[in-house]
Amino acid sequence: MKITLNVNGKLHDIDIDPGEYLLDVLRRIGYKSVRRSCNSASCGTCTVLLNGKPILSCSTFAASVDGQSIETVEGMSDGEKLHPIQEAILEEGGAQCGYCIPGLIMTGEALLRENIDPSDEEIKLALNGNICRCTGYEPQNRAIKKAAQVMRGELDE
Amino acid sequence: MSFDVQMPTSEEGLVSLLSKESSHILAGGTDLLVKIRLKRVIPKTIVSLRHLKGLDRIEDLGDKMRVGCRVTISELLNSEIISRHARILQMALRQIGSPQIRNRATLAGNIINASPAGDSIVAMVLSNASLSIGSANGERYERVVDFIRGPGVTTLSRGEFVKSITFEKTDVLFPQFHKVGQRNSMAISVASVGSLTSESEIRLAFGSVAPTVVVPIDACEYYSAEIDSFDEERFVELAMKCVTPIDDVRATAWYRTTVVRNLIHRTLKVWRKKGYNAV
Repeated sequence: MKITLNVNGKLHDIDIDPGEYLLDVLRRIGYKSVRRSCNSASCGTCTVLLNGKPILSCSTFAASVDGQSIETVEGMSDGEKLHPIQEAILEEGGAQCGYCIPGLIMTGEALLRENIDPSDEEIKLALNGNICRCTGYEPQNRAIKKAAQVMRGELDE
Repeated sequence: MSFDVQMPTSEEGLVSLLSKESSHILAGGTDLLVKIRLKRVIPKTIVSLRHLKGLDRIEDLGDKMRVGCRVTISELLNSEIISRHARILQMALRQIGSPQIRNRATLAGNIINASPAGDSIVAMVLSNASLSIGSANGERYERVVDFIRGPGVTTLSRGEFVKSITFEKTDVLFPQFHKVGQRNSMAISVASVGSLTSESEIRLAFGSVAPTVVVPIDACEYYSAEIDSFDEERFVELAMKCVTPIDDVRATAWYRTTVVRNLIHRTLKVWRKKGYNAV
């Protein structure tokens, strides 16, 4: 079947198998930031934004999001210039093996769009579906907090 | 994968597709798609609710509320009517999965999944919820407690689907939802105790300690009958009669029994400390 996906503002007409998962389709058309880890809706690595909200692409049929808007990390940076969340993750040591980072950044971005000044507790709650085996979460929580400060204009990049 | 995905726009189209062999209804897909990946479900046809008209509202019906089968957990958590009139549901829904899961998963889906651990089922049982079930023959209504027959087993037959869930507003009762899991998020409960309490009434429901979510009716009746000579130990013993847990990957039966007993004591303690003055 044929579907249209709007990925990071770019329209893609794609031929898919009706049973194909969004994760597989996104990777197939080149969005390799979207990662497969648990493949069973448990880890958050495959998180993308669907109409602005974080969802798990490993447990979403591509067919069921036909015509909708998807955002991935590829759409975050502006050329060579990283998004404040990406920058803060690097600065705070929020990425070690790096596997969970694309999903975490998308969840963080959705949080900051709704709430540009989240408390520590709100950050923890928002990110609790993005599992990381390396960092112990504290550097990632600090990074989201720092990115929010930058985005509010309170801290220089 | 060799199956077809259909997206009917009308209820007639939906029920006719559902009457075919091995057709499965898809709402958020957070349970179904995992089962398909694990080959626990091998569908011929997936019938998506995505283009269905309606059944996507949270309605205020006076002393009750109605939630359509397409309403997601996130929508319920953001709903003002739910936070005003169904705090117990809100408490339970916050315990489900992660933000990503809650953005896709639906209340109807969590009920139909019929897990003994289903967090929303505990809240729905406490709120005397019933389901409107549609089919080619029209509509039937069934209470959630009767609808769920065992782990993953419901009375839903081929060609039927849950249209909406109706449940009581419970503003006047003090809500509590205690859940013990292996971690704070993305955790299926080891044991859970939900309750709604007033001076003369207690409603209790337990998750993960029996083949379905269970209600300790004897204990609830004892509470109302013995207001003046209430004996906590007696109450807990009566409540524990419906606790028949199993050993599984998450916990042993012994641990579950201990946890649920402690959670019942905690429920009474919190009620005396905070609830009594709050309602």
